[in-house]
Amino acid sequence: MELTRRDFLKGSAAVGGTLVAGRCLVDELETLAAAPGGAAAAVAEEWVPSTCWIGKQDCGLLARRVNGRVVKLEGHPAHPRNRGTLCPKGVGQIMAIYDPNRVKTPLIRTNEKGVPGQFRPATWDEALTLVAEKLKEVRAKDPKQVLWQKGRSKQEAIYDKAFVGAIGAVAVGHGSYCSDAGYRAAEYTIGPHANANPDFRYCRYMLSWGWNITNSGGNKFCWLTWNQQLVAAKERGLKVVVIDPYLRGAGPFADEWLPIKPGTDLALALALCHVLVKEGFVDRPYLQKYTNAPFLVQADGTFLRVADKEQVWDEATNSAQPFDAQGVKPALEGEYTVQDKKVKPAFQLFKEHLTKYTPEWAADICGIPAETIQRVARELGQNAMIGSTIVVDGMTLPYRPVGVMSYHVSQQELGFQFYRAMYTVMMLVGAVEAVGGLRIDSTWKVHANFEAFEKIKIKDPPYDYTLGASKFFPIRTSNPGMIAKVMLNPQKYQVEKIPEMAIIHMANPLASFTDQPTFMEAYKKFKFVVVLDPWLSRTADLFADVVLPVATLEKYEGPIGASDMYTDATVFRLPVMDPLYQSRGELDIYLDLCEKAGLLYGKNGFLDRLNTELGLKDANALDITKKPTVREVMDRAARAAGQAEGIAYFEKNGVWVKGPVSAKKYYGYAASPPFNGIRHRLYGEALLRYQREQQAKGADKIYWQDYTPLPTWRPPTMWSSPAEYDLTLISYKKIEFKQSRASQVPLLAELAPEQRLAINPAAARARGIQEGDEVWVESHNAVTGETRKIKVKVELTEAIRPDVVGLPHHYGEVARHPWTKGQGPTPNTLFFTGEGYVTNTGDNTFHVRVRVYKA
Amino acid sequence: MARYGMVIDLERCMGCRACMVACKVENNTAQAILWMYVFRFEDGKYPNTHVWFMPRPCMHCDNAPCVKVCPVGARFKREDGLTATDWERCIGCRYCEVACPYGVNYFNWKEPARNYYLDWGDKDLASVTNGEVPPYKNPDLDKAYGLEQRRIAGGGHTKGVIEKCTFCVQRLERGLPPACVANCPVFALHFGDLDDPNSNVSRLLQKKPSFRLLEEVGTQPRVYYIGGRPPSSESRQIEPVKARV
Repeated sequence: MELTRRDFLKGSAAVGGTLVAGRCLVDELETLAAAPGGAAAAVAEEWVPSTCWIGKQDCGLLARRVNGRVVKLEGHPAHPRNRGTLCPKGVGQIMAIYDPNRVKTPLIRTNEKGVPGQFRPATWDEALTLVAEKLKEVRAKDPKQVLWQKGRSKQEAIYDKAFVGAIGAVAVGHGSYCSDAGYRAAEYTIGPHANANPDFRYCRYMLSWGWNITNSGGNKFCWLTWNQQLVAAKERGLKVVVIDPYLRGAGPFADEWLPIKPGTDLALALALCHVLVKEGFVDRPYLQKYTNAPFLVQADGTFLRVADKEQVWDEATNSAQPFDAQGVKPALEGEYTVQDKKVKPAFQLFKEHLTKYTPEWAADICGIPAETIQRVARELGQNAMIGSTIVVDGMTLPYRPVGVMSYHVSQQELGFQFYRAMYTVMMLVGAVEAVGGLRIDSTWKVHANFEAFEKIKIKDPPYDYTLGASKFFPIRTSNPGMIAKVMLNPQKYQVEKIPEMAIIHMANPLASFTDQPTFMEAYKKFKFVVVLDPWLSRTADLFADVVLPVATLEKYEGPIGASDMYTDATVFRLPVMDPLYQSRGELDIYLDLCEKAGLLYGKNGFLDRLNTELGLKDANALDITKKPTVREVMDRAARAAGQAEGIAYFEKNGVWVKGPVSAKKYYGYAASPPFNGIRHRLYGEALLRYQREQQAKGADKIYWQDYTPLPTWRPPTMWSSPAEYDLTLISYKKIEFKQSRASQVPLLAELAPEQRLAINPAAARARGIQEGDEVWVESHNAVTGETRKIKVKVELTEAIRPDVVGLPHHYGEVARHPWTKGQGPTPNTLFFTGEGYVTNTGDNTFHVRVRVYKA
Repeated sequence: MARYGMVIDLERCMGCRACMVACKVENNTAQAILWMYVFRFEDGKYPNTHVWFMPRPCMHCDNAPCVKVCPVGARFKREDGLTATDWERCIGCRYCEVACPYGVNYFNWKEPARNYYLDWGDKDLASVTNGEVPPYKNPDLDKAYGLEQRRIAGGGHTKGVIEKCTFCVQRLERGLPPACVANCPVFALHFGDLDDPNSNVSRLLQKKPSFRLLEEVGTQPRVYYIGGRPPSSESRQIEPVKARV
């Protein structure tokens, strides 16, 4: 009979008093036995620096390697962004490296598309030869008919610019599903390519606007860096106001929660402006000097110009003067007559515009009490300390310690104008790029779009398939969903040529983009689809002709900026071990592909473009007649980035910390001249011009209605869905996952194993729903009348508005993986793309009216 | 000699659960075994809702009920304050699991080697991993530690044996804090010598009011919480992670 340890205990108990003696004996024996097993075996241990691959922040890490095998990933202590720590994804990605369910070899499809794929393994040579042939074929017709779809922005210089430039494709990112409406608003309104974030070292009062503080999963440093800066700021006394329909992870850090109705943020921003203006929380010198608020506007909404120069009303001379005339004292208010024309400063128009946007008016729309709106506006105004200054790095700068954190809140139909209004809140109190105020996540630089968006020439059809400079979206982000719509109905959008070939670079449009049924149909139009991915993504499964296995953390990428906004650093991603299976890094793949397609060598070839985009000059320049190794490219890139030891420095140290970023570089106020001489646009004259041109070219109202010079509230289109669609669905990110890169990682999937619909207990009760019940969530398109539904389990939470339900992204994205089986559906099936569900810049919303009922 | 303890700052914890993953990788625990667990709690009714987080490692009690009930001396207190488990000696009676009011003991119902999330027997992996299961197997765990030279690191991961948080004894002996503490992205977890009034943990306890979980039952935990209150009977757990006990 075999004795288990438990049986041994029973046996011992039976003999009673002998147990003690027996234990002593065993104790001694075991100790003796344990000793030799101890430190004896020799292990070769090393720590290999690299940069996290799974997330967005590019945190520094150290891989502990034992006998060539990575056994742990720890944060790199010297990396400014993570200071020795990692988020759950960073730690858990170790399992992604080894995952035996990765795509192990190149695959070539053997069955029809649109259904789960059957593939045969191929050699790299065979697969890349096939892709190169197709590439040549399509390029011979028109290189622009190759669509290069990327998932996330890593290595823009190498992939988006050098590679895409070499093959001449149209590059599309994922930004329209992210925060691009916010970027467009920043570029147009305040200048930089940015989204708002606070200056955590100095901020005292922060509006966390649709940004879930610690769980948000969006903007640059949202998983560690800002979290670290936030807790430090909280300990210093920062007050946090969370504006979000769903409290979630912001909980412990929220001093106040404003559970706003989805899609109404613009109304709240306007009401805040109303109170600030009414109560005099206005930084007049800033508005006069650094914005177009004093520019005189004529009755037709355009600026009064003399010799092409905008005019202001000079209170010193009581006359209209060029805005930049010496010693001018521009009026912000009043009505004046110039050359027999009635004119008003833009600020006066804004004041009048705000009259109706009272807190009482906003209260109903936003679902937030008027007193609360009033009080928050007042607190914001008081904390802004308008007029105060502070000395930073020896410079005396305006001190406005009020900030906004926001990002994915742009994913709403009025997202562009909401962002404009939110920036206007910051402009009123003079906090844009002041110390403690609204910052951007990099150094201050005016983006080319600031000028470009003022001078867009709306074209006549035919339009290109991204609808650039079209009458539909004069300012536009390339939205893959709109491209899919165009592919299915080119006549409607007056487009002649649609793409024929897609190269899907670490993206998964068939799961992670909205409007799945549209993508299903559109992707059938592609004649050839190549997917680069470590896993068999849903897109690869359904539509790839060729799947190319990509390495995860076992590759080179760089140089990567590693600043945490205050300390500057540069890093590279370095292979922590040899690529698993037959996977390869993307650069490796593209070098070979370009060689086969005849696009590697010579002028404007991939190598030449790598030289340009990575700034490889003179001794560092690549020989454009000879294929380099990837490490060689990286070595030259490291040298070109200023590190004389080249890539070896990074292989040894991981992080090249360059020291503090000078305040002069990041406060727009500290630039010379301040803000590089631009004027922030309180009044969007060009937007009005676009509206008129759109009308003249026959565009429907749905395209031009939000091109207004001042942010103007209207009810979102989704509100016209029938009354039985009585809930608004929002989506969100979980800290456990990063988009489609993570829900198949078992260490992470264990933490959040399946899709759950967050619903308020009161809303659940009213529908006879209990915790864990399966329900149908059915969405309705207010424009087309389409409905779509998914079945999902519910999770009750008191932290969400009763008229809102929430679903996280991340699920349903990798096919045929043991850990994604049964995880539940992506909410993207329920969201729509197209009219009513995109912003006036073509960026997608993640809001839709739904009804929820028991399955 | 240092006598270790942990201080957890609830004002800082963002509930990210990175500590749970760091623990799992460092200690190679099998699926559904969560030596470190982070509760996500909700209190109050909408809109006066409070969401907060509470990490829960083993409390390494000074008056540890688990030690008292262990019939074979597998569970014992070390001089440095650790409540250790000699996994070679554990007979899997689960008395400790019953005695512990904190639920930190995890029983291996399955052969852990067959419970590591994925099938690591893949032939294409063997050349890289030498057939190790899990492939990130930590060599430090299979050693004897401390005065007693007993096998107390890593929990052994043996079917029929209990395992729990060891305060990462294999790291302590290298002069490193436990994996969860070292990795916490917002520095909510602190570790050090509670006997030394100048240690980081002692200073935190001098500065801020603290509590220990179920202090009233007399277990004398070596884990302190600052910046919050213990969960009440009204606190609701949200987003639980399914553990195997």
